[in-house]
Amino acid sequence: MSVLRAAKVAMASLVWLFMAPAWAELAIVGARVYTVAEPEPLEGATVLIANGRIEQVGMDLSVPFEYRRIDAEGKIVTPAFIESYSHFGLIEIEAEATTNDAALLEHPLGPAFDVSLALNPASTLIAVNRMDGVGRAITAPRPGVDPLAGLAASVSLGTGAFLLEPKTALFGHIGAASAELAGGSRAAVMQRLRRALDEAARFSPSRYRPGPGDYSRHDMAALKAFLRSGKPLVLAVERAAEIQQAISLADDHGLRLIVLGGAEAWRVRDALAAAGAAVIVRTHDNLPRSFETLGARLDNAALLHEAGVDVVFTAAETHNARNLRQLAGNAVAYGLPWSAALDGLTRRAAQVWGMDGVGTLTPGSRADLVIWNGDPLELTTWAEQVIIDGQAMPMRSRQTLLFERYRDLSKPYGYSR
Amino acid sequence: MRASVGALLAALHTGLALAAAPYESTYVPLPTETTLIRGVAAFTGDGKVLDRADVLLEDGRIAAITESGATLAEPASGRVIDGNGKWLTPGIIDVHSHLGTYPSPSVASTADGNEATGPNTAEVWVEHSVWPQDPQFGLALAGGVTTLHILPGSANLFGGRGVTLKNVPARTMQGMKFPGAPQSLKMACGENPKRVYGERMQAPMTRMGNVAGYRAAWAEAAAYRDQRQQFESGEAEAPPDRNLALDTLAAVLDGEILVHNHCYRADEMAVMMDIAEEFGYAITAFHHATESYKIADLLAEAGICSAVWADWWGFKLEAFDGITQNAALIDAAGACAIIHSDSEELIQRLNQEAAKAMTAGRRMGMAISDAQAMSWITGNAAKALGIAAETGTLSVGKAADAVLWDRHPFSVYARAERVWIDGHLYYDRSDPLRQPVSDFDLGQTVAGGER
Repeated sequence: MSVLRAAKVAMASLVWLFMAPAWAELAIVGARVYTVAEPEPLEGATVLIANGRIEQVGMDLSVPFEYRRIDAEGKIVTPAFIESYSHFGLIEIEAEATTNDAALLEHPLGPAFDVSLALNPASTLIAVNRMDGVGRAITAPRPGVDPLAGLAASVSLGTGAFLLEPKTALFGHIGAASAELAGGSRAAVMQRLRRALDEAARFSPSRYRPGPGDYSRHDMAALKAFLRSGKPLVLAVERAAEIQQAISLADDHGLRLIVLGGAEAWRVRDALAAAGAAVIVRTHDNLPRSFETLGARLDNAALLHEAGVDVVFTAAETHNARNLRQLAGNAVAYGLPWSAALDGLTRRAAQVWGMDGVGTLTPGSRADLVIWNGDPLELTTWAEQVIIDGQAMPMRSRQTLLFERYRDLSKPYGYSR
Repeated sequence: MRASVGALLAALHTGLALAAAPYESTYVPLPTETTLIRGVAAFTGDGKVLDRADVLLEDGRIAAITESGATLAEPASGRVIDGNGKWLTPGIIDVHSHLGTYPSPSVASTADGNEATGPNTAEVWVEHSVWPQDPQFGLALAGGVTTLHILPGSANLFGGRGVTLKNVPARTMQGMKFPGAPQSLKMACGENPKRVYGERMQAPMTRMGNVAGYRAAWAEAAAYRDQRQQFESGEAEAPPDRNLALDTLAAVLDGEILVHNHCYRADEMAVMMDIAEEFGYAITAFHHATESYKIADLLAEAGICSAVWADWWGFKLEAFDGITQNAALIDAAGACAIIHSDSEELIQRLNQEAAKAMTAGRRMGMAISDAQAMSWITGNAAKALGIAAETGTLSVGKAADAVLWDRHPFSVYARAERVWIDGHLYYDRSDPLRQPVSDFDLGQTVAGGER
């Protein structure tokens, strides 16, 4: 891109900054639209948005006069992206314990730990990541003192309601870290999990007599409710042999399994596909960082997809969930079809998490979408306008305010806001 | 393939050096094949882009470069590579890495990067922790990294000496050491030292305690250096007792060791600049420097580089004001911007990190060329390591450290196809026999290049 063109594009995005009031009806005209519902994009299409929903998508649609018209010729429109593992609303500053509610480090609460009760919709992380096209996220407990870390929630990064659904999945972790907590062996973790799930199925508060180290009545009640909810069990697990254990565990208890991480998932991809398990991939995990990830490789996502496993993505770093698209782009660089990458960021993620009415741009679905100035997976592309629930989002964050304050150091300091 | 005269001379030279001084580099360039890359688009690493260049690598050096379609004669022997549609860059340089000292696997027995046993450990040399079998070196090579600077961690006010390595497979650390590259001194500001020692109820517990710690050490080093000079000039009868920590600090005062200073906040960097002025040493670069954009003018005036991430922020309070335009604003102020990794993952994709930092600036209306952003991971990095005369740019006479990319290196889809160090082809994506496999990876589920 020429410098002049870059400057023009930037000017255009500055214009956005000043015209982002709430608007009931929007028309996005002329873009290449990836509805994700159809395999091919629509060239030069129009997207009509009303009452927070997609009204119509198609060629040659007439734009009613009362609609705010956004000319998007030469742009690309996709559904907003879904981050499949984050701590939005739970962590402001990683190292400041008073701003960090993601993990239980001492209190013996296991599967009953429900992060939805701690969510902070005023977090600065929300606007920072929304500006780069992240529209929704699963916000989950982080591995703490129990192999079952607790219940996750789904959230919207728009300016409306933050919490969409509490208790949307139960998160846990098996492997070296939990083995240490369970006394030193992975076997003990599996035994503990199996026994807890068996007992929860027939749990009755009056008859339950917990021994030392057993779950409390509160935890068992939560586990029983989870078993009946039909929600997925998400296990952070890396080593191929343990992924097999996780598949058996889920199968034995009638649970839908989602693997988080799964560095060696490619080695058991056929078993994962047969079990209908999804994998939340962090594309950049190619390091033999531990003895559980000796098989880590960059084409994990491609191999899983090829075998028919549902692949969705996480940046695994909430402050930079905006890098989701870079991670998906790298999965493409290492063999994942581009369309499967976009699918994993949108429609497939919505399916995996049971988010109704998002992930595609089809009539009636929620109007969560992004206007990009190029291929959304490319590093030189940016989001020109993010729309959540049919509302054009303000394209600014605490970070853009810092930028504006310091872009010209000759100005008097300290009064911009 | 034939052994070049240059390689033989270098081998002879390093052989003599080995005999002369302990700890010196024993790196020996491998034999090279004369290679002509024809019609390739190239970033030179010093802010220029060439449309269709012919680049000749000969005897481990960049022997010739043409521009705008002018062609070079085919070499009498060697290899000709069609560069049409591909991009050539200098070898990527990471000024902040812990490879070999925080290796994979990352377990307690391999954590060798932070001598957190006292706030001043200027006596330690990180090179004595480097494990050359770390599989992460090979992965960084596949990302185009030809040179990397290993620093001690940031627990201490003075963490110890850093070392510059060539990213070549070797049995010993000395076999990777970049011949002639100066060592560095790692200093650290802010939260880390005061947290590590404050929690132990010892100094430093505050930022003012940090500063008192630096100043006391520099004062002691200045006195040590004076005593040594007095002995050398005959004014004193005996030299001071040998002190390894003061050896390091005195070498900084003598300008032999470069200061690389971990520091996040703008106000703390300004204090560090005053300390340097008080004791008469130079700060080569601030590292992490998430707030450099707030004092980019001061940094430009002082000639101090900032080695920063594209987008890391918020993991601790002193990084809360990190913005993605940091590098762009530093560069625009005329200061030296560098994108570093400090990460075994990011080091595999420094081209992508530079692209993100550039794009962040453009998004806000700043004019930054691709070629300028490429200098953030090549030419500017070489300057900060004191090796710019040898590498960092595609310039005739410099080492043939180069990367051939299958497309524009700022594309997320770009991959390094070939990587040369001193003219030897150390990595070839199409040839498994040209993809290093560490001892650790042998016989494992996945080895080396398959990652």
